[in-house]
Amino acid sequence: MCENCKDRELREAILERTDAIIGRVGKSRDRIIPLLQALQDEFSYLPSEVLDRVYETTGIDRAQVISVATFYSQFRLAPYGKHVIKVCNGTACHVKGADNVYDAFRRELSMKGDTVTTADGRYSIENVGCLGCCALAPAVQIDQRIYGHVQPGRVREVLDEFEREETARKEKEREYVNRPPLGEIRLGMENCCQASGTAAIYSEVKRCCHDLDLDVVVKPVSCVGACNQVPMIDVAMRDGSIFRYPNVKVEDVQEILLNHFNTGSTFRRFRNRLFRSLDHLQNDKVWYSDVWKEPVERTRSINNFLTSQKRISTEGYGHMAPLDLDEYITCGGLEALGKVLSGMTPEAVTRQILDSGLRGRGGGGFPSGRKWAMVASEESPVKYVICNGDEGDPGAFMDRILLESYQMRVIEGMIIAAYAVGASHGIFYIRAEYPQAVIRTRKALQMYRDKGYLGKDISGSGFSFDIEVFEGAGAFVCGEETALVNSIEGKRGFPDLRPPYPSQEGLWGHPTLINNVETLSQVPYIIRNGANEYSSIGTETSKGTKVFALVGKVNHGGLIEVPMGTTLKQIIDDIGGGVEGGEALKAVQTGGPSGGCIPASLCDTPVDYEALKGMGAIMGSGGLVVLSECSCMVDVARYFTAFTSGESCGKCTFCRVGIRRMLDILDRICVGKGRAEDLANLAELAESISKSALCGLGKTAPNPVLSTLRFFKDEYLEHLDGMCRTGTCKDMVVYQICDECVGCTKCSKTCPAEAIEYTPYEKHVIDTSKCTKCGLCIDECSYDAIKKVPIRQTITSKQP
Amino acid sequence: MRIFINGKEIAPREGETVLDICRRSGNQVPSMCFVPRAEHKPSCMVCMVKDEDSGQMIPSCSTFPSDGMRIDTVSDEVISTRKLAVELLLSDHRADCEAPCTMVCPSGLDVGEILYRYDKGDLAAASDLIFYAFPDPKSACEGCKAPCEKVCRRGTVDAHVAIREIIKEVVEAASTATAELLPPTQRASNSAFNSRLGVFSPQEKIDLKRTVTTKSACLHCACLSRDDCRLREIATELKIKAPRFGVSSLQPFKAAKRLTGRLIFEPAKCIRCGLCVYNTEDGFTFKRRGFAMQVIIPEKSYSHVSDDIASLCPTGALSLEH
Repeated sequence: MCENCKDRELREAILERTDAIIGRVGKSRDRIIPLLQALQDEFSYLPSEVLDRVYETTGIDRAQVISVATFYSQFRLAPYGKHVIKVCNGTACHVKGADNVYDAFRRELSMKGDTVTTADGRYSIENVGCLGCCALAPAVQIDQRIYGHVQPGRVREVLDEFEREETARKEKEREYVNRPPLGEIRLGMENCCQASGTAAIYSEVKRCCHDLDLDVVVKPVSCVGACNQVPMIDVAMRDGSIFRYPNVKVEDVQEILLNHFNTGSTFRRFRNRLFRSLDHLQNDKVWYSDVWKEPVERTRSINNFLTSQKRISTEGYGHMAPLDLDEYITCGGLEALGKVLSGMTPEAVTRQILDSGLRGRGGGGFPSGRKWAMVASEESPVKYVICNGDEGDPGAFMDRILLESYQMRVIEGMIIAAYAVGASHGIFYIRAEYPQAVIRTRKALQMYRDKGYLGKDISGSGFSFDIEVFEGAGAFVCGEETALVNSIEGKRGFPDLRPPYPSQEGLWGHPTLINNVETLSQVPYIIRNGANEYSSIGTETSKGTKVFALVGKVNHGGLIEVPMGTTLKQIIDDIGGGVEGGEALKAVQTGGPSGGCIPASLCDTPVDYEALKGMGAIMGSGGLVVLSECSCMVDVARYFTAFTSGESCGKCTFCRVGIRRMLDILDRICVGKGRAEDLANLAELAESISKSALCGLGKTAPNPVLSTLRFFKDEYLEHLDGMCRTGTCKDMVVYQICDECVGCTKCSKTCPAEAIEYTPYEKHVIDTSKCTKCGLCIDECSYDAIKKVPIRQTITSKQP
Repeated sequence: MRIFINGKEIAPREGETVLDICRRSGNQVPSMCFVPRAEHKPSCMVCMVKDEDSGQMIPSCSTFPSDGMRIDTVSDEVISTRKLAVELLLSDHRADCEAPCTMVCPSGLDVGEILYRYDKGDLAAASDLIFYAFPDPKSACEGCKAPCEKVCRRGTVDAHVAIREIIKEVVEAASTATAELLPPTQRASNSAFNSRLGVFSPQEKIDLKRTVTTKSACLHCACLSRDDCRLREIATELKIKAPRFGVSSLQPFKAAKRLTGRLIFEPAKCIRCGLCVYNTEDGFTFKRRGFAMQVIIPEKSYSHVSDDIASLCPTGALSLEH
């Protein structure tokens, strides 16, 4: 066959695949985002001939494709490598050195200049907003696989592990079913647990059970929240007793199993015992494992972590399986829905929510009952309910866990909301970076449908309601209600001026109730236990519980749920086990890029909406990033400003240009080139933007700057003076090796820039002209001999 | 319904926005992204007024009155917010209003315009301007130290435009003036705001050397819409001298394109108000987001726009060649 014919055939095949997708997804303008997502899934990017076909055969034109495809960060117009490495740049990862991890990958893969793809096309690399694995920072995702605690020095190891898994992926799990089980092995299988290697533990448990002939149910369960102690397995015996093992390693699994369970046959029992003793003689590592510590000692930190909490949204943590509607029902699920459908009027439901004092968990804390009442009072044959799961805050992953583990509860809450406001159609808006949440929510919806809890005439009540899932395409601003609605309608995620509010004119011009995932997940509890019981939890103005992602420099980070009014100190010390490495607490950043930094001196304040607002922060969706004395506050402000600058939609001047100018100033300050007038200009910009930007994202974007200017002005002044006391701002420090150096040569061997000469048994010296300040040598040095010294000091010390 | 503007009670009419009411009642409020009878969305934030009850600044062009609303259009806070909005727009506006050569000519010669006509091949028009300014054009530039050539932006790229030689050439070719001497175009007064392009980056110099190959080698710094630019008018009104935040932009630089017969599109001057996007069908569109957001038009869509669109553009991003 000639070259031309081959080309033509190839082209035709591509068009055929394109047409099939268009046929499946739809041709109208509002289908553009799902259509582009499907095309990109198929071709790994959006090739121009495919887009030309879209213009020819659908109602979508060139202007719309350019406008939408370049707005959302998910879409790629150029081919990528076979595997995509996503380096998380969320807050928690940032404060733990994500920039260095990104650089380390590029170095390891020999990527030069602006290229993001390796020469052989095997890997592409990108920075992403937040993978939501903040307790395992720094986190990296390669294709669908997530890796936690990726220090720059571990980069090669991670790549090797990924390559190994790629080749061995085909191995299948063997199924076996027989006698009544001896007990259950429960382990979390969320994104972040998987990042810590739970998948390996899971297959090891399966393998051991099979090899040892143990009848044990291996059950993936909902998130416990103790993300810092994973992989963690619970052994649940038939008598109901539970044994918990945190930080399990693959080699511990067999020991744990044999410790609790006996096999059926005497021969196998004997054989197992024999082999086990032989194993122990040969290697001694099992003797030192955590596993053999006393239960109390083993789980003390976890128990502390778990006992101070109160579970509403995450009720059933650690024992309830996600995606199991029957189990959900036995745990009290759908009781609220039944109560609502079997006799409560919509007005009564709304009244309960109003009386409960529930406030929106996504941002500003607007009373949910009032929102429901507004939508309910609109006269319209068509109304919508949207569950806002576009959690984009770096450093927050509450919504992801709720959707992965407790989606049954969110769906129940959503059906109740729909009943109360009279909506017939619901949409789950879930960000594309959470594939697991999307898959599980879809499955859960199908289970509801199969059992008749969704669809026409739910449970014979005459009320009909169905829900579909809409995947966001990567835009932080779509967490804003009006931008979210525009995005569903197939437009750029530009926010609109309010009023009109979505509750009056929302999706397709119809009244629309938009509630956050966590808000909806509190609803079943309120209906089941009554508004009074709910409102007895919390403070005067803020009721119920709040789910937080406790991350950053804290010993035991993770997902926690506490009553409103708990103080930050309690959260950090009692639940989180204090600041990592015994460092002093400097501040807590709450509310992500829209929030602020609360100094340690104010951490005794009980957390509620008003208190946080008074301290220049916001509740936001609930990220709590702990910052220690080693965190640079100017860098934190710069980090968040860079984030919002990149996520600004670009519609209004104050956000598009204003935030960029704030970033310019902060960039300048962080490299030691700040000017005298910078702080005044920064403050003026910040105040004007917060009063004048068009939408909530813009108005709250200056909060990190405003709050750090308010509480940490001395650090700004120091930076203007050419000094970063924490050494975070690279351009203001040099690395120096001090007299503690014993000449062990470790730093010299590890330096990727060859800036340290190999001089065994002598004090090493760093060539500052070659040093890239990646920090690898500091991590490597066992003698604490490498210091970050302010440039200013080195200049003055040279003078006599 | 009643609302109060600067304390004065006014009854809104059906369908009026706060901006309409302000203007009807004699309160001047500037605006850029709003043009009557055109599709628009609030973006420029120059028409800001203060809602005294909430303390928030609101874009008056898109806000509808509500009963009892109290609006402030004149306080220092309002003026400084508008001023900041314009300063921010100007910091992302890398362009010259006037050609530097014209600005410095001691004889008041519109040098930029002469070079423009010269490059168009319209020597007669070019010579008219010279004949009008000098009684004896033949010795016009003699003895002049030629500040025009010293400030010529091309000079920072490679060599300045040979302005004096070109003037000589024009004068010699024409030798006499045409019958009617056109009065020179009205020069903006010295108090008018003047946007300045700033310096070229090394890469831009390389690009300019390669791409600008007109006969005179002139970069044509002067803006085609310099006398008809709402951005410049408002900056002048607000007494802005130089942009406080410097000038830096991600917009394609010196990348003017001819879209139709006379319609010229110059993205560097765009303030991303979107008027051209909202008022064309499959024509102009936004690309990317945030500070990097551009307004673009794919070449295949040039035929979807007409010359009229230039009248909507508040700056020189879309202008008609005269």
